[in-house]
Amino acid sequence: MALWVDKHRPRELLKLDYHKDQAENLKNLCQQGDFPHLMFYGPSGAGKKTRIMCLLRELYGAGVERLRNETMTFTTPSNRKIEIMTVGSNYHLEVNPSDAGIYDRVVVIDLIKQVAQTHQIDPNGQRDFKVIVLSEVDELTKDAQHALRRTMEKYVATCRIILSVNSTSRVIPAIRSRCLGIRVAAPTPNEMISVLQAISKRENISLPLELATRIIDKSERNLRRAILMLEACKVQQYPFTAQQDIVELDWQVFLRETANQILTEQSPAKLEKVRDRLYELLAQGVPPDVIFQGLVKELVKNCDMSIKAKTLEYATLYEHRMQNGAKHIFHLEAFVAQFMNIYKKFIADAMMMDDF
Amino acid sequence: MDQYPDENEEFELQYQEELELMDEFAEQNDFVPALPNKTIVNPAPILSQGSLNSPQLSQISFNADDSHLSSLGGGGGPVNRRLFGTPKQPPTRGASTPFVSKQKMAPIQEVLDLNGLDNEDLDMGPSTANRALEELQKANNKRKRLERDLFGDIGDLFGDDTYEDPEAKKARTEEERDLEAIEKILETRRKLREQSKAVRPDSLARLEALHAFKMRNLSYNIPQWPFLPLRRSDDERVYVRFHSEEYETKAINEIHAASGLGGLLGEHKEKIWEEANELVLKRLSSNKDGASHEHAPIVVEPVSNDDTRLWVEKYKPRKYIDLLSDEMTNRSLLYWLKMWDKVVFGKEFKALQANAANNGEMSNFNKRTGKFESNGGWRARKTKQFLNTNVDEMGRPIQKVALLCGPPGLGKTTLAHTIARHAGYNVREVNASDDRSPEAFKMALENGTQMSSVMNESKKPNCIILDEIDGAPRQSIEFLVKFVTDSVPVKGKGKGAGKGAHNILKRPIICICNDIYDPALRPLRQIAFVVTFPPIDSSRLAERLVQVAQNERMKTDFGSLIALAEKSGNDVRCCISTMQFFNAQKKGLTLQDVLNNNLGQKDRHQGLFEVWGAIFRIQRPKKQLTQAKGDEEAQVTMTDMSMSTRVRHVLDVVHSGGDYERLMQGVYENYLQQKMPDPNLNGIVEANQWFCFSDTLQRQIHQQQNYTVYPYLQYGFVIWHMLFASLAWPKINFPSKSFEFNQKQTTQKNIFQSLRKSLTCGAIGVGQGHVVLLETVPLLKKILSPQLRSVAVQLLSQKEQSDLKHCVEIMADFGITYHQVKSAEGPYIFRMEPDLDALAQFPGYTGVTLSYFGRQLVAREVELERIHRSTPKAIEQNDKSHTRTDKKPQERKPSAKPNTNATSPTNLPNHLQRLKPKRIESSKAASETVSKDFFGRIQRKTPAQKLAEEPKSDPIVKSPIWYRYKEGFNNAVRKDIHMNELL
Repeated sequence: MALWVDKHRPRELLKLDYHKDQAENLKNLCQQGDFPHLMFYGPSGAGKKTRIMCLLRELYGAGVERLRNETMTFTTPSNRKIEIMTVGSNYHLEVNPSDAGIYDRVVVIDLIKQVAQTHQIDPNGQRDFKVIVLSEVDELTKDAQHALRRTMEKYVATCRIILSVNSTSRVIPAIRSRCLGIRVAAPTPNEMISVLQAISKRENISLPLELATRIIDKSERNLRRAILMLEACKVQQYPFTAQQDIVELDWQVFLRETANQILTEQSPAKLEKVRDRLYELLAQGVPPDVIFQGLVKELVKNCDMSIKAKTLEYATLYEHRMQNGAKHIFHLEAFVAQFMNIYKKFIADAMMMDDF
Repeated sequence: MDQYPDENEEFELQYQEELELMDEFAEQNDFVPALPNKTIVNPAPILSQGSLNSPQLSQISFNADDSHLSSLGGGGGPVNRRLFGTPKQPPTRGASTPFVSKQKMAPIQEVLDLNGLDNEDLDMGPSTANRALEELQKANNKRKRLERDLFGDIGDLFGDDTYEDPEAKKARTEEERDLEAIEKILETRRKLREQSKAVRPDSLARLEALHAFKMRNLSYNIPQWPFLPLRRSDDERVYVRFHSEEYETKAINEIHAASGLGGLLGEHKEKIWEEANELVLKRLSSNKDGASHEHAPIVVEPVSNDDTRLWVEKYKPRKYIDLLSDEMTNRSLLYWLKMWDKVVFGKEFKALQANAANNGEMSNFNKRTGKFESNGGWRARKTKQFLNTNVDEMGRPIQKVALLCGPPGLGKTTLAHTIARHAGYNVREVNASDDRSPEAFKMALENGTQMSSVMNESKKPNCIILDEIDGAPRQSIEFLVKFVTDSVPVKGKGKGAGKGAHNILKRPIICICNDIYDPALRPLRQIAFVVTFPPIDSSRLAERLVQVAQNERMKTDFGSLIALAEKSGNDVRCCISTMQFFNAQKKGLTLQDVLNNNLGQKDRHQGLFEVWGAIFRIQRPKKQLTQAKGDEEAQVTMTDMSMSTRVRHVLDVVHSGGDYERLMQGVYENYLQQKMPDPNLNGIVEANQWFCFSDTLQRQIHQQQNYTVYPYLQYGFVIWHMLFASLAWPKINFPSKSFEFNQKQTTQKNIFQSLRKSLTCGAIGVGQGHVVLLETVPLLKKILSPQLRSVAVQLLSQKEQSDLKHCVEIMADFGITYHQVKSAEGPYIFRMEPDLDALAQFPGYTGVTLSYFGRQLVAREVELERIHRSTPKAIEQNDKSHTRTDKKPQERKPSAKPNTNATSPTNLPNHLQRLKPKRIESSKAASETVSKDFFGRIQRKTPAQKLAEEPKSDPIVKSPIWYRYKEGFNNAVRKDIHMNELL
C-alpha cells in the first residue's frame, strides 16, 4: 500500500474524515445485525469505495481486509471466453461486471447468482449473509440490470448486494427501489484541505496551504485525484513552493488544445485534424461523454455570449444521438462541425455589424 | 463503320425510292409495277422507323437501307460512286454482297406461312425480290472496280487468315479472279432474268389490285393527308402518304388475305424459292471454287455459319491490331514482353525483326513498335509509373512477372495469348481447370521455363500464362513469387555456374486475375508488373459488334449494339454471346430487344472504389438510351443531369456496392478532402447529420436485428453525393483510420487488462474502470518517474532515496517491472511491463520519463523488492525492522542478522562489528510477536479463541522449535502437532 491513496485510506467508519454523520448512521445500521441492499452513489473520488470497505470491516471485522485476486472465466452463449477479475475475502466479493463489456449479463447471471446461492459455511460468530460489491453498475447494460433485479430479491436470505454507482440516472428504477441509496457527496474544498494536510503530516512533509488550495482547484473536488496530484508534486519537486507546477492530466490538456484549435480555425481541413485528435482521445480510452463534456466546457468558456446557448443546445442534441449510435466519432465530429458552423456565422455577422 | 450518314447519304436516303423507280423504268419499261413497288416498299420502313428526319434513323435498321442502297446502285451512278468512293463503309459492303438476296428470301417464305404479318418485306412480292436481286447484280457488274476497292478494304478488316496466308500471291491472282467472278455473276444474272420474266405475268393481277391502294396514297399534288415529298429522277414530285401503324398492318393484312385467295404468289412461289436457293448455292460454290481469297472472309464465313462454333470463339482476335483493349495497355504489355527478347532470343533478336518484316502483318506491327520506341513520348509519360524499364544483370526486366487484372470479358486472356504469339513465344497456359497445388504448380513452372517442346518444329520458346491466378492456393502463389525472385542468387550459387545458369528464370510469365486485391495475390503484386485493364470504349466495342453482325448477316444496327455494349458493361464476350442468342432466334437485334431484355445484363459487383468514385463524382452527360413508354421507339438522348438522374444513379451504384457500412466509412474519411464551395460548413453539418442518422440506423440493425430500416441506409449516400460531388475526378483513399483506431484501442485495452491483473488486491485506490485510465494512470506515470541523478545508489540524496524507495514500493504493488529490450534503433532500453508508457500517451506530450540509468536503477530495486516480498513471512517478520532502516538494499539479505545486533544495543561502527550468536531472548520476543499474528487478529480476538489459546500456548510457544501450520483463508482446520510426530 505504498500509494498514498491506499496508504492513508481510513479503515474504520469512525475514522472517516468527512460525512461523519453518515458514518455514524452506517455504523448503527451494522449494529442492527441485518441491513438492506445498499447503493452508494456519488461522483468519482468522493469516497464511495472507502465507505463500503469500512462498512464491511464494521460487519465482519478485519478479516475482510485479507483480500485475494481471482480470475474467473465464463463462456458466453456465442462460445466466447471472457475473463473477469474479482477481489474477495471470505466474506465478500467485489466484481466489476462492466469489464465484460456487452457480455455483462452473463457475468451477472453466472457469477452473482452462483455466489448468492451458496450459504456461508460457518454461520456462528458471523453474519449469515455474504456481501457482493458491484462497482460501476451504471455502466451495465439494461439486460444485465434486469438480470440483477430478480437475483437481488430471490437470494436476499444469503446475500446482500452493495452497488457503487456514479449516477443513479442510469440505473433502472427497479434496482433503485430495491436498494437503500446512500449519497456520498464530493468533499468540500475545506475538507479536502484538511485531508491533504493530514496526509502530509503523516508523511512528514510540509504542505503550504496555498499549494493545497491550488491542487484542490485542479482536482475538481476529486479526492483521489487530489491525493495523487499531491504525491506527483512531491516526486517532482519536494521542498514545496506555493507556486510550483501542478501535474496536469495529459488528456485534459489534449482536449483543451483540441477545443482551442476548433476556435482558431473553422475549415474542413481543420475539422479533419480535429477528427484525428478525437480518434486519439477515444483510442486512449477516454469515454466519449467525457470528451463531449470537456469540449463543450472549453468551447463555451471561450465563445461569445450569444452563441453559448446554441452550443449547449446542439451539444445535448448530439450527445443524445451518440447514446443511440455506435460510432462515437461521427457524433463528436458532427458536433464540432455544427459548432464551427455557428461560430463562423457569428463571426460573419459580427463583421457585417462592424461594417455598418 | 461510320454509321452516321453524311449529307450525301441523307440525300440518297431521301431519294432512293425515286432512284429505284427510275431504275425500274429503265429495266422493264413497265409503268404499272413500278408504282406499286415504290409505294409498298416505301411507307413501311418510314412508318416503322418514326421520323425520317432523324439522322439516327439510318442506323436503326441498316439492313433495310442496304437493300435500298443496293437497288439504287444501278441507276444512281454518281450517287453510288460517291458512296463507294468513301472507303471503310460497311453498309456498302453489305450491299454489294450477294447475300442480301438470301435475306430477302426468308420474309417471302414467312408471307406464305402467314406468320410474318408485321414484316415490311411482305410487300416485296416475288417480282420485287427478284428485281432487287437483279439490280443488285447489275450494280455489282457495273462496279467491279469499286468492288475490288471495297474488298481490299474489307480484307483489311476481316482478314483473319491474312496473318498466315502469303499476301503477295493473292495480289497477283487478284485480277484473274475478278474476271472469273464477273463471268459468273453475268451468267447468274442471265439466269435470273429468265426467272423473273416467268414470274412477272403472275404478279400483274396483284399489282393491279394494289394500284387502287396506291391512288389513295400517292399524289402529284400537295395532298390533304400527312405526306412525305419525294422527288423522282425525272424531277417530278411525288407525295407519299403517312399512315398510322395500325392502318398499315390492316392494309397489309388485307393484301395478305387477297394474296391468299387470289394466289398472288400462286404455285410459282415454290419454284421461285427453289430457284433462289439454287442461285445462292451456286454462287456459294462458285465462290468456294474459284473465288479469290480476298473474298474469303465474307464468303467463306457464312458457309461455316451453320456449324456450332460459338461466336465468341469465331470472332476472337487473332492479330494484335484486332485487339479491342486499350492501346496503351496492349503496348505496355508488349513492351514488357519485348524486354525479354535479350534473354530469350539472345542475338536472334535482330533476326527476328527481319523475319517478321517479311510477314505483312508483322511488318506493320513492327513498324508500329519501332515507331513508339523511337518517339518514346508515351512511354516516358505513361508507363513510367508501372513499368520499370531497367534490366538486371542478366538482361531481364526487373519485374519478371506481368499481372493482368480487370473485370471479366475484357479480353485479358486473349491479349496475353495474342501478344505472346506475336512476340514469338509458344504459349503454355495454366488455368483454374488445371491442378494448381504447389507441386503441380512447380512442375508446370519448371517445365515451362526450362524446357522447350520437342514436337514443335518452330522451336519457339515458351511463355507461361497463368490464367485465373486469383483462385490459386496461396502456397502456389508464394512458390511462384519465390521462384521468380529467389532463383538467381540461390540456385546460381548452389549449383555451380553452368547448371545454375539453366535454372534462372529466363522465360516471361504472365499472370491473369480478376481481382487484384485478392489477399493471396499480395506478395505477387509487389514484384509484378501490374497492368490494369481499363474498360473498353463502348463505341469501339460496338464497331466490332457491327462487323460481327455483318459477317453473320444479322439484322441489327449500330445504336442497339452500343446499347448492348453499355448494358453489358462493355463485356465483349457477353455482347457477342447475346448477339448469337438473338441470331439463333432468327430475328434481328433491335434497340427494343436490347432494352427490354435482361440478356447481357450482368449483376455486376462494383468495387468499393468505383462506388466511392460515383458518389464523389458527377457523371458527365453522355449518350444514353431511354426506353420510352408503350410502343414508341427507344431513343438515343443525352443524359440529363437533373436531380432525379443523379439520385437514381447513386442509388444504383450504392446498391450494387452492397456493404453500406464500409461504404459509409469510406465516404466519411474522404468527404473532407473533396473540394466544395462551403464557406459556412453548412454542407458538412448536413452531411454529418446523415452520418449520425446512418450510425443510429446501423446500431438499430445490429442490436435488434431490425432489418426493416435497412433500406433507409442508402439515402445518406444520395445526400453526400449531392453535397460533395464534383465533375473533377475525386481522389479517394481507402478508409484506414477506423481500422487503425480499432487496433490502437485493442492494444490499449490489452495493456490495461494486464495492468489490472498484476495489481495487488490492496490497491483499491486506483479506482475502477475508466477512472483508472483517466486519473490514476497519468498521475501514476508522474509518480513513477522520480528525478534521479546518474550516480550510485549510495550517493543519492535523501530526497532521491526516499523517492526511489517510494517508487519501488508502488511498482511492486502494481506489479510493474522494467524489462530490458532492444529497441528498433539498436540500443537497449528498459520498457515497462505492462507498458504504462504507451497507456494514456498523447502525441506531443512526452511527459517526464526516467533516464536509462534511472530505469536501470529502479529495475534492480524492484527486483530486490519482489524477492524480498516473496520470502516466507516468518523471515520477513524477523528482519522487517532492519530492511526498513537499511539504506543499502544490496546488502540486505546477507547482513540482515548481524545488523540487528549492530543497530539495536551497541552503536558500533560497521568495521568493528563481529558476528555473535543470536541471543535466545530476542528470538523469543520475535516468536511472541509472531504468536500474536498467528491467530490472525492482532487486536480483536474473540473471547472463545482467547480461551482456546491460553492452555495450549504454554508448552508450545515456550519451546524454541515449533511448527506453524500454513494459514489458509478459511480457518478450517487447525491442529497442534508435535515435532516428533513429524520426524
